Amino acid sequence: MLKDVTLGQFLPGVSPIHRLDPRAKILFLIALIVFIFITSNYISLALVAAFIVALVFMTRIPVKMYLKSMKMILFIVLFTGIINLFYGRGEPLVKIGFLQITEAGINNAVFVAVRIAVLILASSMLTFTTSPTDLTDALERLLKPLTVFHIKVHEIAMMMTIALRFVPTLLEETDKIMSAQKARGADMESGNLIKRIKALIPVLIPLFVSAFRRAEELATAMECRCYQGGSGRTRMKRLHFGKADLYGLAACLLVLCGVIICNIFLPATVR
Amino acid sequence: MKDFIKVENVSFRYDSNDTVNKYVLNDISLNINKGEFVALLGHNGCGKSTMAKLLNAMLLPEKGKVFVNGLDTSEPDVSYDVRKTVGLVLQNPDNQLVASIVEEDVAFGPENLGIEPDEIRRRVDEALKAVDMYEYRAHAPYKLSGGQKQRVAIAGIIAMQPQCLVLDEPTAMLDPKGRDEVMATIKKLNREKGITIVLITHYMDEAVQADRVVVMDSGKILTQGSPREVFSEVELLKRHRLDVPQATELMYRLVGMGFPAESLPLDEDECIDRLSKILK
Repeated sequence: MLKDVTLGQFLPGVSPIHRLDPRAKILFLIALIVFIFITSNYISLALVAAFIVALVFMTRIPVKMYLKSMKMILFIVLFTGIINLFYGRGEPLVKIGFLQITEAGINNAVFVAVRIAVLILASSMLTFTTSPTDLTDALERLLKPLTVFHIKVHEIAMMMTIALRFVPTLLEETDKIMSAQKARGADMESGNLIKRIKALIPVLIPLFVSAFRRAEELATAMECRCYQGGSGRTRMKRLHFGKADLYGLAACLLVLCGVIICNIFLPATVR
Repeated sequence: MKDFIKVENVSFRYDSNDTVNKYVLNDISLNINKGEFVALLGHNGCGKSTMAKLLNAMLLPEKGKVFVNGLDTSEPDVSYDVRKTVGLVLQNPDNQLVASIVEEDVAFGPENLGIEPDEIRRRVDEALKAVDMYEYRAHAPYKLSGGQKQRVAIAGIIAMQPQCLVLDEPTAMLDPKGRDEVMATIKKLNREKGITIVLITHYMDEAVQADRVVVMDSGKILTQGSPREVFSEVELLKRHRLDVPQATELMYRLVGMGFPAESLPLDEDECIDRLSKILK
């Protein structure tokens, strides 16, 4: 039941996107998010969306996987889209009671929906093509300058690595405990919301107890392997910006120019 | 080298203010030579896991001393060097793996030691090949079987190139197949790389494969010697509610019923051999 979570899953592959430097990928994602939000008319929005869709195809990951991760947030897309539909100003096209739909409203709705959808597409692309360890590793290296402000970057990255490592283990354990409780006659599927939440308590308590026990053992194991925090530690993987990352950078700059030109020379449809 | 690890009159208890409970380890002494394969046997709670943690300075003795390669573990600032020399593998493979990719997990130890990236790469590949998990280097640990996970955990320790490997019931949570895989790996490391092995177990069939068996009972050493010596003392072991290998047990009972046998067998092959002699 907990197995079909696609968001944040890593799908190994050998596509050009997979091979980009993870630090570059994080920066490109941030850049793309910025691009999506500075677009002010349909042409530039289409430009960014087309760029991202092209990248999606370059990952050589079945489009089905992307659609699956979109499905999870479909409700949010529709909800914000519909809310925005009624928020436009100007001449009403349709009037239902106190609600009115205007042209600006329709534009807003389309923009918001497309922006969120593209956002999810771009971030799933990052997690699909980058292993969690690469991701945390890249974050650690990108955030390294923050150690100047006494932010414990290494410790945060380590916690993320361990958390990601134990997600499948704890999911499996949850399944086991639920089966064990069901075998003893626990009823988790019927009754109202409050009743069902109460039924989860006998699952959560053993889960927490075992998580703490695991944490203690893991700490012992890490100590046995001479873990002493971030100082004096080296990494096996060397990261370097390569040619592919430069091409990526060039493509991003090109899209940025496109967006800026469109924004300047074409009338803005949303503010 | 003699006396690679030296445990001298060590007593230990977890709570030193506790006057009610007895010591977990009681004035125990043990020497382990370099390149030796020692099996530590005993009941649950006889102090064998405590012993494991004393050997790599995870715990320090209350009385007595533990020397590893000449280093006194109770001295300040030696724990790092001791742990580099004596690697400890724990029971549950799931709780020992840190990273979500096999090779990155194996790299964890060497990374902590501050080794150069190229050298880490070399060591990781070598360690994974030594435990026959090289082709799984890019896999996620949670998709592996128990025996495979435990072998990855062992690789993670030997990538630090310790001279001694202490394994605290490494097969307790595994199925028979996984147990065989792990035992084969341990023996291979001992034979081919000359790594000293201290295997803590309560499976008699595993203890038989060691050079020396040390039997512990309530914080003390009950008896020790070669597997053949130890398991011929069937009465002593039985008195302390410890088992002997099944083949030995069978022959012991037959001898008790009056069958002639020169010595007790240790495994199935020997047992078949003796039985066929009797039946002839």
